[in-house]
Amino acid sequence: MEAFKNLVVILLSSVLVNNYVLSRFLGICPFLGVSKKLNQAVGMGVSVTVVMLLATFATWPIQYFVLEPFGLGYLQTIVFILIIASLVQILEIFLKRFSPALHKGLGVYLPLITTNCAVLGVAINNITDGYTFIESVFSSLGCGLGFLLAMVLFSGLRSRIDEMEVPSSFRGVAITLIAASFISLAFMGLAGIVDNLFA
Amino acid sequence: MKKSVKSIVVLVSICAVVSVLLALTNAVTAPIITQNEEKSANAALLEVLPDGGSFEKADITAYTLPATVTDVYLSENGGHVVKLNTTGYSSGMVLMCGINPDGTVSGTKLIASQETPSIGGAAAETYAAAVIGVDVSTAEALDTISGATKTTAAYKNAVRDALNTVIILGGGSVDLRTEEEILADALNEALPAANGAFTKHFFVEVTEGVDAIYFADNGAGAVCVVDTVDGQFIALDDSYTVITACDDTVAVAVKTAVDTVRATTTTALDLTAYAGLPEHLVKAEKTASGNYVMEIKAAGYGITGGDEYHPASGEYIMIRVSVTPDGRVIDCLTLSEEETDGIGSACADETFYGQFDGKTEETYQNIDAISGATLTTDGYKKAILRAFACVKIFEGGNPS
Amino acid sequence: MKKNSNLSIVLNGIIKENPTLVLILGTCPTLATTTNVFGAFGMGIATLMVLICSNVLISLLRRVIPDNVRIPCYIVIIAGFVTVVQMLIHAYLPDLYEMLGVYLALIVVNCIILGRAEMFASKNPVGKSALDGLGMGIGFTFALCVIATIREVLGAASFAGIAIPFLENFKIEFFVKAPGGMVVYGLLIALIGALTNGKAPKKKEFSCAGCPSAGHCGNACTANGKENA
Repeated sequence: MEAFKNLVVILLSSVLVNNYVLSRFLGICPFLGVSKKLNQAVGMGVSVTVVMLLATFATWPIQYFVLEPFGLGYLQTIVFILIIASLVQILEIFLKRFSPALHKGLGVYLPLITTNCAVLGVAINNITDGYTFIESVFSSLGCGLGFLLAMVLFSGLRSRIDEMEVPSSFRGVAITLIAASFISLAFMGLAGIVDNLFA
Repeated sequence: MKKSVKSIVVLVSICAVVSVLLALTNAVTAPIITQNEEKSANAALLEVLPDGGSFEKADITAYTLPATVTDVYLSENGGHVVKLNTTGYSSGMVLMCGINPDGTVSGTKLIASQETPSIGGAAAETYAAAVIGVDVSTAEALDTISGATKTTAAYKNAVRDALNTVIILGGGSVDLRTEEEILADALNEALPAANGAFTKHFFVEVTEGVDAIYFADNGAGAVCVVDTVDGQFIALDDSYTVITACDDTVAVAVKTAVDTVRATTTTALDLTAYAGLPEHLVKAEKTASGNYVMEIKAAGYGITGGDEYHPASGEYIMIRVSVTPDGRVIDCLTLSEEETDGIGSACADETFYGQFDGKTEETYQNIDAISGATLTTDGYKKAILRAFACVKIFEGGNPS
Repeated sequence: MKKNSNLSIVLNGIIKENPTLVLILGTCPTLATTTNVFGAFGMGIATLMVLICSNVLISLLRRVIPDNVRIPCYIVIIAGFVTVVQMLIHAYLPDLYEMLGVYLALIVVNCIILGRAEMFASKNPVGKSALDGLGMGIGFTFALCVIATIREVLGAASFAGIAIPFLENFKIEFFVKAPGGMVVYGLLIALIGALTNGKAPKKKEFSCAGCPSAGHCGNACTANGKENA
């Protein structure tokens, strides 16, 4: 029960409180770039969640069964980024062959994920936070879902902005960033909630 | 084919060259990093134990230490730094406590916490200054800071745990049990036949010389606490004969008390037969010897105005109190409460309601209030005053 | 003529194509490490080092690396330099290491670096590539420091960790929090838009020019990085 509680806390805090995009600034590029339409936002969010989970499945055992026993901790960054890049490639080939429909939906977002700092960030943070394998899986699931949530919320906001008369110098990137700050401000209100959920 | 071979060769050789480069850099930087980490760890330890000199991590695997202790460092001058992980308002409150060779606290530092900065965080800072210089004998007397009860209680417990840790490491023994655990162990030791299941008796008769009686739930007998200070526990077997070796006077007192308690019969009083009883009185009984046992509602923090009568509200504190005909409290007990957890809820602790034992209308005000819960305390006192008034009415007098 | 073009390569990175304020690249470190001027400067210099080194090496190897494995090769080279910089900072500037945390390792995925490798270093000689890295790195550092100065002075009433006493009572914590970073960055971009009045290549959308994956990206991005270079 205690262990389950812990997992729920990890999951919820990475979705809401420590949301990667809105409070840790990881994965800002796709958040701002691919959130114009709802279907794009969902497609990107789902792809990121899947890749985050796969990356954790691959990087956690490698860190603890290969890098650390052989004293190769300093190769962490290089190994992790290569794993993520290969995973994305494999996933793309796999989808193309076995599920063309899914590939059509998600395929365009996959190459973008290789250089998405949120994925590498989750993999590294799971190690630095000292999570167990199960905890890491829950934390990456939470981060992915948090990313998806932020993307979906933000795409709704952006479709409203597109209909507005924005001063010319604010058009484009500037107003998008300022709008993002409102979502981030709203998420700040959730700080402290998760910890006391079971108190 | 040739092209792909070339690609692989290039990629692999780049990987190999980069790995070698990293290994070389690592060989240069790793010792410096380790040295830096040791230095900064040492600096952090020096902050709580300034006279410590250098530190060495102690092997604590062989000792049974308080559960909050994670690491212990020994200093050059014979002091200790104890690292603890405890729970304040939220979990993950990590602090270090430095202890001088003479057993006084040299300093504490909160390393990580999720406490609210303006409340718990500020309280922790105040508290860090207050604990300097305390030792085992004075650590318990530290006040909690109102408004941040959980944070300061956690801090206080952590300091106590740190002090105990040093005693244990020095070869001494420390009772790590809580008060409840000490009582439960003592009861079990006095009467093993009860299998640890006891119910505390609520006194309705004055029984001189006996502080408390615990009846075994399975009928195996009873245990009387004779002197709370020395903690003398006298057991009686299933025929209520004293079986613990003790003075004759004590044995007689215990036997008399248990027999009186067992022989007591009560009759319920018809409340409608008396005029002027407060609505707060829920139930009253009279014993054969003339004492009264009453269940009374006390208005707690949850009641608007502190004293209004709202039958629909579930926020009253239900208390049971027994009073002699001449107006002296024999025993008092909180039956239920809905007060704020960690603040007013302390009215359910025996340390609070036990204070009313032996009090009269003249002296019932002389009790320690619950810290941070004035309304709850006042409501409770008013209920006790009503009990005195009820007794006067039952006895045929006029309530003041 | 030659000297002029070298200077223009450097200035291009600092002003005309400032990676942070004009190309809008590397937004993650821009927002995450600008709560403190010291951290922002450190992040900028670390990125600058990696940028110059990777640009030089990739330019040197541009005829050796086969086209089909170029991205993995670039990633390995960049990750290698990032780790070297990371280890050096850990050893010699432990405070900075502590402050930057995971963002130091995440320089690997900073699109500026991969973008410059793909767009510039893989097509230009060593000298020019180094200058391009220098210009871009200075531009990045400069932008980070500007944002960090605004955020730290307003939000924490200090500059590079040194408290500014007379501002102590007027600090607005919002600015050092996450949303404050976005607002400052957004306003700065708007300001530059207003100052240049459309003369600078105004970005309507988030840049894909520097993104090596732009070609695959379909409806998400329209620009193709290769053509821009």
